Amino acid sequence: MFVKAFRRAMPPLAVLLLGAALALPSAAAPARNAKAAPGDCAACHKAEKVLPAGHPATKAMKLDACAQCHAPKSPQALPGKVPGSHLHQLRGVGCTQCHGDLKKPTEVAHDKCMSCHDTTKLAEKTADVKPKNPHNSPHYGKDADCNLCHHQHARSENYCAQCHKFEFKVP
Amino acid sequence: MTNPKQTTDLLARRRFLQTAGIAAGATLGGVALPRAAEAAAAPMPKKWDVTTDVLIIGTGFAGLAAAIEARDAKADVLVIDKMPVPGGNSTINGGDFAAAGTPMQKAAGIEDSPELMFKDMMKAGGYLNHPELARTVAEQSAGALEWSQNYVGAQYDRVNFHGGHSVKRAHQTVQRSGSGLVTKQLEKARALGAKIELRTKLVRLVADKDGRIVGAEVRRGYKFPDEASGTPAFIKARKAVVLASGGFSNDVQLRQMYDPRLTDQFTSTNHPGATGEAIMAACMAGAMDLQMDWIQLGPWTSPDEKGFGYVPQFVERVVGYGLMVDPATGKRFFKETGNRKERADAIILLGHPAVILADSTNTTKMVDPGQLKGALDNGSLRKFDTLEDLARGYNMPVDVFVEQVKRWNGFVEQKKDPELECMIFKDAVPNVTPPFYAARLWPRVHHTMGGLAINKEAQVIGFELKPIPGLYAAGEATGGVHGAVRLGSVAMADCVVFGRIAGKNAAKQAAWG
Repeated sequence: MFVKAFRRAMPPLAVLLLGAALALPSAAAPARNAKAAPGDCAACHKAEKVLPAGHPATKAMKLDACAQCHAPKSPQALPGKVPGSHLHQLRGVGCTQCHGDLKKPTEVAHDKCMSCHDTTKLAEKTADVKPKNPHNSPHYGKDADCNLCHHQHARSENYCAQCHKFEFKVP
Repeated sequence: MTNPKQTTDLLARRRFLQTAGIAAGATLGGVALPRAAEAAAAPMPKKWDVTTDVLIIGTGFAGLAAAIEARDAKADVLVIDKMPVPGGNSTINGGDFAAAGTPMQKAAGIEDSPELMFKDMMKAGGYLNHPELARTVAEQSAGALEWSQNYVGAQYDRVNFHGGHSVKRAHQTVQRSGSGLVTKQLEKARALGAKIELRTKLVRLVADKDGRIVGAEVRRGYKFPDEASGTPAFIKARKAVVLASGGFSNDVQLRQMYDPRLTDQFTSTNHPGATGEAIMAACMAGAMDLQMDWIQLGPWTSPDEKGFGYVPQFVERVVGYGLMVDPATGKRFFKETGNRKERADAIILLGHPAVILADSTNTTKMVDPGQLKGALDNGSLRKFDTLEDLARGYNMPVDVFVEQVKRWNGFVEQKKDPELECMIFKDAVPNVTPPFYAARLWPRVHHTMGGLAINKEAQVIGFELKPIPGLYAAGEATGGVHGAVRLGSVAMADCVVFGRIAGKNAAKQAAWG
């Protein structure tokens, strides 16, 4: 409810750094710098402190470097801690690769996600997730729009939970 | 054909419920209906953004059946749906398809006929059904099921009972969900070349100066439920528009217009997009609506899980085997195999959830293991080693309850219930073997029987009591098939039968431009 209200109140893309906005609600909306280097927080966030005190400098980092400490699947793993768009950014997938020209950004269609993410392989990868495979639903198969759950600029949601008691952690 | 006594009883029960005041003082809130602001059909646009022969609104059983038939008749087909996922309620339903006189029934030794199905539908519907529509569904049910199996590719592997039917005639998909048919319909429709566009919402129908429906104003890229989202566009339908947009169980404001008791205190089994604006758009374009205040509550939902859930698939399998009691008294209070309306009304009158139970033998024989596990895992179904534990688990008077189960078991042995006239199935056994399975029941808004007036050719009828050229409708968006009460599993039959008729006739309509 909160996230939905939040999303509706904000124009598209202004929600770019919702995760940070939640941590620092008084901060001004970050700039949209399409040329920002992957780990260069200040390129968009300016002087705003978005990392915990004592965090190593990230300016030169990409996702692999982050993973030295934030090991995948460990309690320190990044998914769920930062908005999905940041994981994309850290991998070198910036705004324009999904949204096109930033002056006139387009909504990201499911096919765009599919150009990198193979939903069949994804379903195989999560086949053993309990209580059900989130990527192969009897109702919607493997073709459900990624953005039903995995929001990039807002907190992700568990679409299945509308009806089911599946307590998935959605990155 | 009529049975005045039955109708009178039904109406009397209804008035009683109203005066019992389960939602006394319901208000509509202070918000004006946004849809009232814009009247009538949209005028002809200067330019059409998209052109098709047949435009279908809705990707459920009915819309996709229409799409497949219209494509098979060589029409260009565009199917739109406002939601980000296809299938609406159809893909989350229980997958039970009523059909009379099928090979599966014969193999199971069930004697049935379209005439008997028609009689059951009329009786449950309080004889308010439009008989020619009910008869069309009953007579074409077996053919529609066969088409869904052999042509579309859905698979069914059991024949279930639903309250209010005379015999077992609900053919259930192997998936135990309507998705077993919807996914196959989607595959078939796409393979035949139908275009399917999600997140495109109907705003208004477009009529020419003579009132013929010629297309629709839509919003593409719509994000439910944000009414400002998406981009306006006009879709030209050269032959016809088929409205298969479903009912309005989740439209609290609209449903309270017809039944003010149904406040937001009642949740729904439906998907969030089950709202009525497409029906209203048709009405604004001259379509007539009927029986809109007959709104069905499902008597088999559990307050201990969300939405439709798993419990209905336990309840509907064990009625006629196990028993339903009022936990306040520990006694049975209503015929377990009664129709949905009778049972829901009876539970609402209790004022608190009922409890239904069956022993291990009856349960494991009747209930699908996957559904049973789902219900146990989410805690809506509970397992007890003794009847005494079960009674204590629901704060029931132990002795009275145990005595009541014994009494019911006596009826099961006799295969006759002289007290409440519950049907008892031949293979039912006394409930003596632990563990005992039980669930609480509280009704949810499930189906809207009313909707657009249609004739048996699925043409929508206007206020001049004549068909509106270029407009067809099928499924829950229509009214009249079910009268006052829809029997369980007849929705799938209704949607597929009338969806096919609508698709065929829409494709046959002469193009206007």
